[in-house]
Amino acid sequence: MQLVFLGKFGELAPKGLASPTLPDDVRTLADLKDWIAGQAPVLGKAMALTTTRVAVNRALVHDLSRPVRADDEIAFLPPMSGG
Amino acid sequence: MDIRITAAPFDPHAECAAFAADRADAGALVSFVGLCRQETAGRAVTGLTIDHYEGFTQTQIADLAADVARRYRVPDLLVIHRIGPILPGEAIVLVAALSTHRGAAFEAVQVLMDYLKTDAPLWKKETGPDGARWVEPRQDDRLRRAALENQA
Repeated sequence: MQLVFLGKFGELAPKGLASPTLPDDVRTLADLKDWIAGQAPVLGKAMALTTTRVAVNRALVHDLSRPVRADDEIAFLPPMSGG
Repeated sequence: MDIRITAAPFDPHAECAAFAADRADAGALVSFVGLCRQETAGRAVTGLTIDHYEGFTQTQIADLAADVARRYRVPDLLVIHRIGPILPGEAIVLVAALSTHRGAAFEAVQVLMDYLKTDAPLWKKETGPDGARWVEPRQDDRLRRAALENQA
């Protein structure tokens, strides 16, 4: 599994988080978010304080009960500021 | 449609001229260019850096543009958006619409810009003498986006 942290999340994410070894009880995207908050509290707090969108394999996913799979690329996106 | 993400500076006027060349059916070209400011809210800006998500940002912008083209019935749209480091005065974004008449082209450019502000996977970091800060979406942009949702 690959994790991608964009924008300000990228600065707060420890390097080791990009290719994590997850415990068995991390089954869904919601579990993964909780696990990240435990591993990297500053990042977890930043993600909780704002609207964080999640993309799986480069498609936005709104249902965080989606199971995570070993070959997923999962990205965490802070509020966008283009234009 | 021509949707480009580029790390290189571009000339918006030359791009518009090329976009509008040899379009026998087009009676209107409307364009908007967003520029990197030299100051914001009284603070000097020495530059911007824009983060993107490789392989995702371009397709998301293309989806937004296709949706706007369909809703406003404009035959062609051009979007060029910079990523990486940008200097004050440089163009950050160009959005242009070609249409038979001006009304649809004006609306399409305005609406697509509103979407780019809140829904294009891009993240701006502003640098000044006091350091760098990530730019948060403005309340005004969120409200405009919410208004669009109600119209859709």
